[in-house]
Amino acid sequence: MAKASAKFRIRKEMVPYLFIMPWIIGFLIFTLGPLLFSLAISFFDWPIVGEPSFVGLGNYIRMFTKDEMFTHSLMVTVKFAIIFVPLYMIIALGLALLLNQKIKGQSFFKTVFYLPSVISGVALSMIWIWIFDFKYGVINYLLSLIGVAGPNWLGDPKWSLVAMVIASLWGQGTMVLIFLGALREIPKEYYEASMIDGAGPVHRFFRITLPLITPALLFNLIMTIISAFQQLTLALLMTKGGPSNSTYFYAMYVYNNAFKHFEMGYASANAWIMFLIILALSLLVLKSSSMWVYYESEVKK
Amino acid sequence: MKKLCLLLVLILAFGLMGCAKEEENVIRFATWDSEDTLEVQKAIAKRFEELNPGVKVQVEGYGDGYDQKIAAGFGAKNAPDVMYMWDFPTYQASLEPLNSYMDSDESFKTLMDDLYPGILNYSTMNDNVLGMPVGYTSHVIYYNKALFDQAGVPYPEEGWTWDDLREKAVALSALGDDVYGFAFATSPDPYDFEQYYWSFGSSYLSDDGKTMDGYFNSEDAVAMMQMFSDMVKEGSALGAQDSISNAFRGGNVAMQESGIWPLDRHIESIGEENLGIVSLPVAKEASSVINSSAICMAKDSKNKELAWEFIKFYTSPEAVKMRAKIDLPVLKSVAAELNYTNDPFYKPFYDMLETADAHTPAFLLNSEYSKISEKILFAIEKIFVDSVNGEPVDVKAILDQAVTDSAQFFE
Repeated sequence: MAKASAKFRIRKEMVPYLFIMPWIIGFLIFTLGPLLFSLAISFFDWPIVGEPSFVGLGNYIRMFTKDEMFTHSLMVTVKFAIIFVPLYMIIALGLALLLNQKIKGQSFFKTVFYLPSVISGVALSMIWIWIFDFKYGVINYLLSLIGVAGPNWLGDPKWSLVAMVIASLWGQGTMVLIFLGALREIPKEYYEASMIDGAGPVHRFFRITLPLITPALLFNLIMTIISAFQQLTLALLMTKGGPSNSTYFYAMYVYNNAFKHFEMGYASANAWIMFLIILALSLLVLKSSSMWVYYESEVKK
Repeated sequence: MKKLCLLLVLILAFGLMGCAKEEENVIRFATWDSEDTLEVQKAIAKRFEELNPGVKVQVEGYGDGYDQKIAAGFGAKNAPDVMYMWDFPTYQASLEPLNSYMDSDESFKTLMDDLYPGILNYSTMNDNVLGMPVGYTSHVIYYNKALFDQAGVPYPEEGWTWDDLREKAVALSALGDDVYGFAFATSPDPYDFEQYYWSFGSSYLSDDGKTMDGYFNSEDAVAMMQMFSDMVKEGSALGAQDSISNAFRGGNVAMQESGIWPLDRHIESIGEENLGIVSLPVAKEASSVINSSAICMAKDSKNKELAWEFIKFYTSPEAVKMRAKIDLPVLKSVAAELNYTNDPFYKPFYDMLETADAHTPAFLLNSEYSKISEKILFAIEKIFVDSVNGEPVDVKAILDQAVTDSAQFFE
């Protein structure tokens, strides 16, 4: 009788773990496992056809000293991120503010604003190639109507990154909804009180709205930084990194090293450096958040 | 409950027994064809099955993702038995050398004599014949006779020079803003582009593949790239980022350099009477790159004897004839039978094939070619893109930069 109840007790404690076991197994096999494996092979010279050989830190040293494409692709990615991240957040916030207004057709606009993120990257690239076309594209046509000669968006190294930013900015979706949710959370009393005191809309935005949505801002900032550094699809399909490597993102550098040059070890090292860079940036943002993020539940010092 | 379990186990056992039988007479054949051309491969496989009852050939058409799928197959030690192959340097350790099969097979000797000389070089590494050539294309110049007539320019003739080409291109470009005499792809395949280097008396690498300085950036190369850049800047050649074939068919480009691939669609679009084909122009010599497809056997194949029989059949005149529209025949007998060596549309391709022995492409000379060719591509691209956008182009500096950037691969 005592044995049976002991077994029963153990089984009862195991139950929660059994419930999340599918996720744990999936995580170990498909995320943590490959993660650790790629760290291991980043210390090897691992051609996909042939035998791997141990090189220690050789891959990392090569990246930082001998490979000019590493620095170049990193620069391109950073340049892209600096332009893209603020613009993306501003547009997302703007759209969310618009959606927060009490006008007819709210759900229609919500759907329309969310549509871009649903379209596959491949289809998007095809469309944007046509929009950016030098001679027959929509953008250059509209520019010609106001007398401006549009540049060769995808063919001129000076403009190709701008074209990438424009195409990426168009992919609004989830961020807008997150901002919208945060905006809805703001108690109406604050606005009413401030309006009684004579605050104008601009004042209300910067003093009430912005501080109260800083948690959402924090989340979106980190997510946008991560996605900016992982940009690949649009560049791969629209410009293949050109013209003249002006849109050669870091993710493309990793991809080419792995699947064009068959250097799995080197590509894994590249990927881990990217991971460390993004991790560092995210930690930086999180650490600074205590200075500018305001949670309603805590008392600000 | 117990009886049910026993029944389940018995059913499973019987089922597995069926799977456990060794698949002795099946070989997997992978090709980069898809759609129409894949049908031809399936027909050849069927014919082989007819001639060898009890044997099954599993045709796997990988299409565009061919390189990745084959790499994945080798990486997982699950490669097909027989497959198309072009990248012999990368895969040489994983392919079965065919020398012993060829030498011990008397009937194969006639086939070897029937093969055009020089083409076997493309599938041979370190004296190991790793693949049998099954098709090829060389490169020629297609030209639009209607545009030539319009501009009053005489047609190109065999033995014409690059200066002739430039002259004609300038005259043809005068036809209109949207018409160009010639076209250069701003991102060409470095493998194909090397034929220009040969033509002007240079090459990417030294003959032993160990040196790039003085070859890729030789004086001849600088002069050639300068000429190409000037042609783009003066408007006689289009610096094309999109399909040149489409531009040719649309009447925007009067002369196009290419292999056999666009031939049928060109004839369809502008008509047989308007299409002319001529060999590549000469600078210091006449040379074309050969794109050779070969069929090879995996070292890990479990059915090597059967795979060899299939390779033999695939390279025989019967199968070569079935493929004549997608791969130019590499057998002299078939080429003569189909009259390709006299047909004005095919003759230039065969004339250029005669030059195959003269040069070995760089990709066979250096195992790091994939990375070196990337730097080569960057340099060529920069020269053309800057020319298209009207930027100043320092050809020598750009070529030198590629050599410096590639130094890390020669250590």
